[in-house]
Order: sequence, then C-alpha cells, then structure tokens
Amino acid sequence: MGKLIEVDRVKKVYKKRKTKERITAVDHVSFHVNKGEILGLLGPNGAGKTTTIKMICGLLVPDEGNVMIHGYDIVKDRLKALRHISAVLEGNRNLYWRLTVKENLEYFAGNRGFGRREITPKIEELLVRFRLKEKENELVNNLSRGMQQKLAIAVAMMADTDIILLDEPTLGLDVETGYEVRKLLRYITEEEGKTIIISTHDMPVVQDLCHRTVIINKGKVVADEKVDQLIQLFDTRAYTIKLGDPLTDKQVLELQQAFPMYEYGDRLLNVTLEQENDIYLLMDILRGNQTKIEKIDRTAVNFEEVFMKLVKGAGEYEKVPSSS
Amino acid sequence: MKKFLHLLSGNIRKEYIEMKRYWPNTLSMILTIFFIFLTMFLGIQFVGDPNQADTNIQYVIVNYIFWYLTLVTLQGPGFTITIEATRGTLEQLYMSPMGVWKIFLARLLGTVFLHVLIMIVLLFLSMFVTNQWLHLNPLSVIPVFIFTIIGMIGVSFIIAGLAIIVKQIQAFLQILQFILMALTFIPLSVAPLLAYAPFVKGIDMIRQIMIYNMTLGDFHLTDYSILIGSAVVYFVIGMMTYLRCERIAMEKGVLGQY
Repeated sequence: MGKLIEVDRVKKVYKKRKTKERITAVDHVSFHVNKGEILGLLGPNGAGKTTTIKMICGLLVPDEGNVMIHGYDIVKDRLKALRHISAVLEGNRNLYWRLTVKENLEYFAGNRGFGRREITPKIEELLVRFRLKEKENELVNNLSRGMQQKLAIAVAMMADTDIILLDEPTLGLDVETGYEVRKLLRYITEEEGKTIIISTHDMPVVQDLCHRTVIINKGKVVADEKVDQLIQLFDTRAYTIKLGDPLTDKQVLELQQAFPMYEYGDRLLNVTLEQENDIYLLMDILRGNQTKIEKIDRTAVNFEEVFMKLVKGAGEYEKVPSSS
Repeated sequence: MKKFLHLLSGNIRKEYIEMKRYWPNTLSMILTIFFIFLTMFLGIQFVGDPNQADTNIQYVIVNYIFWYLTLVTLQGPGFTITIEATRGTLEQLYMSPMGVWKIFLARLLGTVFLHVLIMIVLLFLSMFVTNQWLHLNPLSVIPVFIFTIIGMIGVSFIIAGLAIIVKQIQAFLQILQFILMALTFIPLSVAPLLAYAPFVKGIDMIRQIMIYNMTLGDFHLTDYSILIGSAVVYFVIGMMTYLRCERIAMEKGVLGQY
C-alpha cells in the first residue's frame, strides 16, 4: 500500500499570550497513513491531536518537520496538496446554518471550483446515500445534530478527494446516529477506497472502524499500532489474581513501586505487566510473605483500557514488529 | 478561469440567498437608502444658494453613493473573516484548493454587484419620485468605476489581513467610516494630494462625469495614470499584506480562533 500522508517529525510550540510561556503542543510527531486505511488519532484532551490534524490540513505551519500529502509538501505546495484532502474540523459548526442542506453542498462545491450543473449528480447521490434527500430544502438550523453531522461529512465527501480528515465525527451523537455515521464511514473506505484519519475519544468507533491507531500523549506518539495487535499485546499482560491471604503493607508498597497501575481489593489483584518477564517480579512479591494464590486469570482487555494504560504511562510497550 | 467563474457565481448566489433569508435586515437597508436619497433630492433645495441647488444635490448624492459603496467594499473581507470565525466556517473555507483570497474576492464582488444593483434601482426610483434627474453616462462611468473598485479591493484586503490576526476589528471599522467620509466627500480641488490616496481619484472623476457631464475624452493622461496606477499599486499592496498576515496567522495558530 502506498503512503498518502507522511507526517515527519513535526513540532509546534505555542506562546501563551499573557505569560509568554512556551508550550510544546506537538513534539516531533511522525507517522504515515496508507491508501485506503482508516487511522484513529487518539489522545486525551490537550494531547496535541487537533494541532496535528490542523498541520496535516495546512491550517497550521509546523515549527519543525514537514507533512507530505500525495507527495506535496503541505506548506510549500499547500493548494496542490489540498486538492487531495477534505475535512470536517468542527462538525456541524462547519456548515452555514441559514442555508439549506442542498445550498450548503452547492456552496462548498462552488468553493472548490465545481459548477452547479456539473456537481448536481454527485449532490443527488450524496443526498440519497446520507439519507438527507427528504431534508434537502430544510435549513441546517432546523436539522437534528445527527443530520447536521451527516451533512458535514457529505460536504467533505462531495469534493471527491482521496483523503478525509474527521475531527470528532461522533461527538454528541446518540447511539443510533453514531452507529449510522460509523456505517457510512465504513462504506466510504470499503466501497470508495478513501483514506480517513479520525481524531476521536469514542473508543467503540476506533475498535469498530480503525485499521490502525496513533496515540498521542503530551505531544508525543506513545503508540502506532494496529488496533487488534494493541489489544492482543495488553491482553497477554493483564492478569487477575485471586489471593487466599490479604496482602501485607510491605507487599502493597512493593506493588506500588513495581506496578503503579495495579488494583487491589477484596483479595483480588489486577495487574498489567509492562514486560512478559515482570510475571517473575510479581511472583517474588507475592512469595515474600508466602501469600496463597487461589487462581490466576488472564484478563480480557478492551481498547478503552489499552488506551488508558498507554496515556497514563503504563504503556512503555514493546512494538509489535509485524505492524505496517 | 472557469473554476473562478464557478466560485464567483456560487458566492453571488450565497450573498443573494442570505439577503433573502435575512430579509428584515435587507429591507431596512433598502428603506434607509431610499429615504436618504429622497431627503437629499428634496431637502437640499431648501439649504444654501437656490441657484446652486442642482449641483449641490448631485454632489451630495454622488458622494453618498460612493461613501456607501466604499464602506461595503472595504469592510467586506474583514467582516467576512470575523463572522466566519465566529460561526466556525472560516477554517473550512481555508480547506479550499482555490485559495481563500479568491473566495473572499468572489464574495466581495458578489456583495458589490448586489449593492450596486440595489443602489441603481433606488437611485432611479428616487429620481422618478422627485422628478429630478442626474446626468448618468454609463459608458464613461463604468470604466472609471472598475479601476476605483480595484483600488478599494486592495485596501479591503489590508483590513482583512488585520482581521485574520486580531479578529476584533469592529472598533476600527467604526473609525474607518469617518475616514472614508473625508476621503469621498473632500474634492480634489481642495486637497490635490489626496489623488494618490486609494480610490479618491476615481471618485473625483466619476463626480465630474455625473455632475459636469464630462466624458472619458475630457480627462488628461495624468488623470488616467493616477487612476490606473493607484488601483494597481493598492491592489498589489493589499494582496501582499493579506497573504503575509495569513501566513503569520498560520504560524501563530490563530486562524480559526475568535
């Protein structure tokens, strides 16, 4: 698969207006996105996701590093690169609320240089596929949030670019609409071969849709891995241990030092090991007081837990070599 | 060029739709202009020397039209940036591979076109109601008007550059009204150096065409040199300033901020 987007050691530092304090929002972040891939860009609030997305869109100039879109440098050849990207950056706020659904599509088409006559078949197709046909003459102001979100994605689709960037596409949507949006996004990649970057906090979206995920924390990439491989990696290192005796204060202290993310209560101990060999360290701590072990289970981990572990620092994980 | 024409027609259409949707605002604007025209046609007869009444009326009306159009043109892109940043659509405009300055230019041309149209209709309506007719010579007015507007567009992009960085420019736009009033109302015979200020030469030439019935052949080469030269210079300065400010906003990360 060819690389459509290459983010190479980009750095962005902001200066606070009042204190003049310099804050590094993105610190030498590198990753790439292959053609036809859905990449999840994740991270806690303030991690640097939106800054990264904006640098990919060419709305922000990186202080260091560069972003290549389809072989074009987004800073030096911005307009050429933009022919290949469309984006939904602020969801329903990206639309003109006093224009109708159809007028919005026509207006944004005009802004990309498409004539009304030439774009009409595409608009009709999008209205049907996004189930907006019945609302085509409705003001955006009168639509539900879910419909507005679908329209924002339809606007991005209308440009027929091969790359689509979506910032929080399911934010504030109910379960049903969120599911519908996910279905649409899957259709877009599977049937139309589009390449998508989704920045989101919605873990089911990532687990359900994304082929690969880049997790950013404090401006740095802490994981760049296929979603199932990340889960698998943590799955094999998460244990629930049922103890026959309570832990002593000394053991609790040793656990705190060795496994900061451990959970203990009611003689149940949940531990995620940073490395496979850490199992020996854990056994040493438990053996120290001859603690009786009744049962050891491997814990099933979902993506949300993997994410939490990575961003909270428990995730100095070993990269899986087979990842693309 | 074809793409720019699509961009232009899309933006004229959007301006027209928004004028229709915000009809109370549009209606009050139309009524205000109409009553100002009527007041000028009827009121000035009772002020000053009755022998000069016709010239006075024509002078004031031409000045008012150009003050209004200058205001609309100069505020255009700056006002668009402020509004779009508040709505959240500004960054979406920046995603266009056409280049956002072309979108602002298309929207500005759309706004000017619609306002000129409204002005012409209202001016004829006022002349009809009061039965007083100005000398209108479109063949002479239109070429001078086009160069005058080009200079105005240049200045409007300087203001847009300011808006893209600081966003809050309403107070500045208020002051600008009075500066423009001075630039459009003061005749060049009183302040000849103002000919080098943006768009003043053009307005003065149009005033002479409309009031003294002059034609394009009556002007000197110097007049045309100043008219065309200032249009080109201010347009280039405006675009360069805007593009530089846009780059600064992208470096500082303040493009979509409000």
